[in-house]
Amino acid sequence: MPELLTPATLYFAAALILPFLPKGTLRQTLVLLVPIAGVGVFWTLPEGTFSPYNLMGLHIGLMRIDDLSRIFGLIFSIAAFLTAIYAWHVRDTIQQVAGLLYAGSAIGAVFAADLVTLFVFWEGTAIASVFLIWARRTEGAYATGMRYLIIQVGSGVILLAGIVLYYRETGTVSFTQMDLGSYATWAIFLAFGIKCAFPLLHNWLQDAYPAATVTGTVMLSAFTTKLAVYALARGFPGTEILIYIGAVMTLFPIFYAVIENDLRRVLAYSLNNQLGFMVVGVGIGTPLALNGTAAHAFCHILYKALLFMSVGAVLFRTGTAKGSELGGLYKTMPWTMVFCVIGAASISAFPLFSGFISKSLILSASANEGHFIVWLILLFASAGVFHHSGIKIPYFAFFAHDSGKRPKEAPRHMLLAMGLTAALCIGIGVYPAPLYALLPYDVVYEPYTTSHVVTQLQLLFFSALAFAVLMKTGVYPPELRSTNLDFDWSYRRVLPSVVGGVRHAVTGTWRFAARVALHRVDRMLVGIYRAHGPQGLLARTWPTGSMVLWIAVLLGMTLVLTYV
Amino acid sequence: MTDANILLLAIAIPALTPFVVAALGNRPNLRDGASVLASFATFAAVLALLDAVIDGARPAVTLLEVMPGLVLRFEVEPLGMLFATVASGLWIATAIYSIGYMRGANEKNQTRFYICFAIAIAAALGIAFSGNLFTLFIFYEVLTVSTYPLVAHKETPEARKGARVYLAILMTTSILFLLVAVIWTWNIAGTMDFRAGGILEGKIDPAYVPFLLALFAFGISKAALMPFHRWLPAAMVAPTPVSALLHAVAVVKAGVFTMLKVGTYIFGVGFLGKTGAAEWLMWLAAASILIASIVALTKDDLKARLAYSTVSQLSYITLGVALASQMGVIGGSMHIVMHAMGKITLFMCAGAIYVAAHKTKISELDGLGRKMPITFICFAIASLSIIGLPPFGGAWSKWYLMLAAADAGQIVIIGVLMLSSLLNVAYLLPIPARAFFAPPRGQVAHSLGAAAAPVREGVEEAPLLCLIPICVTAIGCLVLFFAVGGLYEYLLSIQILPESMP
Amino acid sequence: MTGSDIPPADDPARLPWLSRQLLWVDDKRNVDRLVWALALVCGALALADFLYHKHSYFPVENIPGFYGFYGFLMCAALVIAAKGLRVFLKRGEDYYAPLTVESEEHPDADLGRESVDA
Repeated sequence: MPELLTPATLYFAAALILPFLPKGTLRQTLVLLVPIAGVGVFWTLPEGTFSPYNLMGLHIGLMRIDDLSRIFGLIFSIAAFLTAIYAWHVRDTIQQVAGLLYAGSAIGAVFAADLVTLFVFWEGTAIASVFLIWARRTEGAYATGMRYLIIQVGSGVILLAGIVLYYRETGTVSFTQMDLGSYATWAIFLAFGIKCAFPLLHNWLQDAYPAATVTGTVMLSAFTTKLAVYALARGFPGTEILIYIGAVMTLFPIFYAVIENDLRRVLAYSLNNQLGFMVVGVGIGTPLALNGTAAHAFCHILYKALLFMSVGAVLFRTGTAKGSELGGLYKTMPWTMVFCVIGAASISAFPLFSGFISKSLILSASANEGHFIVWLILLFASAGVFHHSGIKIPYFAFFAHDSGKRPKEAPRHMLLAMGLTAALCIGIGVYPAPLYALLPYDVVYEPYTTSHVVTQLQLLFFSALAFAVLMKTGVYPPELRSTNLDFDWSYRRVLPSVVGGVRHAVTGTWRFAARVALHRVDRMLVGIYRAHGPQGLLARTWPTGSMVLWIAVLLGMTLVLTYV
Repeated sequence: MTDANILLLAIAIPALTPFVVAALGNRPNLRDGASVLASFATFAAVLALLDAVIDGARPAVTLLEVMPGLVLRFEVEPLGMLFATVASGLWIATAIYSIGYMRGANEKNQTRFYICFAIAIAAALGIAFSGNLFTLFIFYEVLTVSTYPLVAHKETPEARKGARVYLAILMTTSILFLLVAVIWTWNIAGTMDFRAGGILEGKIDPAYVPFLLALFAFGISKAALMPFHRWLPAAMVAPTPVSALLHAVAVVKAGVFTMLKVGTYIFGVGFLGKTGAAEWLMWLAAASILIASIVALTKDDLKARLAYSTVSQLSYITLGVALASQMGVIGGSMHIVMHAMGKITLFMCAGAIYVAAHKTKISELDGLGRKMPITFICFAIASLSIIGLPPFGGAWSKWYLMLAAADAGQIVIIGVLMLSSLLNVAYLLPIPARAFFAPPRGQVAHSLGAAAAPVREGVEEAPLLCLIPICVTAIGCLVLFFAVGGLYEYLLSIQILPESMP
Repeated sequence: MTGSDIPPADDPARLPWLSRQLLWVDDKRNVDRLVWALALVCGALALADFLYHKHSYFPVENIPGFYGFYGFLMCAALVIAAKGLRVFLKRGEDYYAPLTVESEEHPDADLGRESVDA
């Protein structure tokens, strides 16, 4: 009996059983119980590698437990649990199965002790998650899903190529810290980078998250990118280039977020910005910074899920998540508004909210190492994220100009999911000690110093003031129905036209060549007939050798003819 | 019973089945039952033989000596055993599927169909077990001829035209190139036997090796290496079971199997690697992989798309030979199994769609997933396996081919394999995705949402006899991922190096 | 405002309790007051810098109110820059294709159904 000790097994087994259960409460309960049982699998185990195999000389380890994998495993399980509550109303079998497979793959990947297992689950997250986009069942969602899938599978095959090369270089596939410097590690780095939405590799994120179903987006926001952050933290801690990549990542999305209309895409841009903080933390690579990355990932999953849940609830009730179509919803969806504000306060890192106690770690780490420019950028990005996620999202959805929409309050299970998530956000912010205890390194850190609190409040309140002033003076750009060009323009516009041009040229040339060739062969056949025909030169008696030769030539000709 | 007798039995059963089928021609149930029974019997014999081969036996039979030196001889070795197991095992699935399909689609001349089918299988097994190039060549031609009536089965002008192209390309290349190569080899090596490590090393001027290899590579046009691939799309006029077993498994795999066999036992992997004679073949195979995938993207006919996908996937195996290393041979032979399992599923799904919904164009499949959920789920699974994604078998063969490319230091080839995966995603996955998730075409934009609501329509699947084999092979794709350890051990027993002289 | 020109859905009595507590934000004057209050808090925070010893990593932090001014200026710059970017980046919702996620409506099946066995 092979040992398959990993939480992923539970998720996959549940996904297998689920379609055979009657639709309704039984299924939902199953989806709800799996994450709890999953935590039970790994929580009590000591550190070490479990379920080792020797598969064709590869040393496979399905489950490695240490502090880093444990904290990511825990937060992924929590996310799976909360989304299960949020998606209580969903009756679509495909979404339920895909959700289980997706969460299971992500958790399995976190515990993978070797690169082959990582690859398997890595592709698992890619394949399972695309169904959450396709499940919207529209033409646009189909196209988006296809783009998303190709990019995600692309990340997977690059990872595979990297693993193959790495295996040949080092003779091992165990997943430990690597150094950039060979094709192998660069390929692995690139694969992680695609999933982590590095600048210029990021567009799948903003493309896919607004396209998924209401509940699908909440799931998507939790797993894929944080899995990549985990992989980077495991494989490339202290790689300096990550600091600069991360800094750029925090910076450019906020510009897009300001002018973006679709609130779910605004959140996707701000998610990208938050990932930048974590990447910077990995790049700095000190224990404090890595702790910051882990803590920030933990908090980020919660508040980002909360924000996507609240915007999702608005979408669920009104049928749109566009800033230009919304406004004034606080009148009928007050609780959704409150939870949205809590999420916004958390992502903006207000003191007493979760973002504050995790982001400070990374900022302090960057300052400790003397990265002044990076520190300034991160500070700017913090202000910026408050601007577009902290203020813009709640403001345009629930206040601003009254859209006249008077939808019902979000359904109870959604409120419950949001309430639990919000409670966690505040709880961690007020009392961070339990979270700090889970972090991979022992570092003493006190977030609530006077300096921190006051400076952070200054930053935030002045940013809010800037928003108010710009709003009052009418400088603030209004929400408009639009598409904003991003780097995906290169493969959604330029590439297709280039390919179209090449295709046109190739088919044209091919047809021309075929016509010319046919003509030539025709003339040759006439020539052969002259030689071989009744009056032909070659119709006389000839030695057998040349007969064989001519038969061969004839056969060749027939071949060419049939082929063309 | 001795191993040698089992060997003969394994070929004799399908070779004799036509007589039984012909005798039962006017009693369809008995006839079809006989064909299924024969497939099971053949597989049992092959399995018994496989057991012996795993234990180290190498049974051999010499049938007759045509001329001094020209011997009709069978000899089993692991590579051929693998091909035989795949071909005979999947024959069971196809035999069952054929019943559902041929009756569901109201095909005529079913007796002739089953007769030719059994002969083709016998020929494939003959190729698999052949002990020298001469025997292989004979059965290679038998396979070509016996499948001609199957391709032309519908007897429509298009079917005849397709069959003509099929026969013309396969015949001419095999006589023009393969026969010449065989004679040349015989001339210089003095033997046509397959020997571990090859028979050519030291007997041929290395400068000529690429040319001889070219004669083999193009002569074995069943491997559908570009530019001699046209026969494969042309053969898609045949009824789907033919496309499924013959043009995803038996015929095309006979081609790449011959390629592997020639590479390993005639040239010798070490010899090819040393002389670098296969490098051009590697690039041609790589080009073939990409070009065929791109052509597949442009095809709207489901079977044509699958055919070009096969052309591309077969070149994986040729690539494995051309990389000339043990990993290449392992990757290539593993891909025979993985691709066979995936592609036969895809073809059977295409047939099921034709039988149940009478659709052959991909653009007509939107929304069909709700009517035929099982078929399309199996289609998706097989697609993922072909693409090479875990947890499906195809991932492993790609892994070994990449390892082989890494061993050869060919980073570009790794890139080609990666790109090919993405192209596979682009041409295969839209089919199940659109079937399940696309709103029916022609809807006005604003009513999209309502139209796409999951409406409960009646499930209208293909006949059960079609559906069961599809499910079995689809599950097979999954099982192969986990059962790969044993397969790998087995493939390691393919002798790459020459036996040490006593 | 009088009761007669309020649509029934907006009747304060019919709104949830929590919403009723917030109705004051609909009044322009209250919003102005809010902005002034915000400015006041900002001023207070800036002054607070003189009251404690700042633990700083970089010299620039020792400028009183640095965080505040940096936040204000950068946010203003952010918005103005983003607005400028719109000139180059803004396209119609159907720019890439006639049917995209942006231009088509969200499918009904995904909305509002709390307990439908679809």
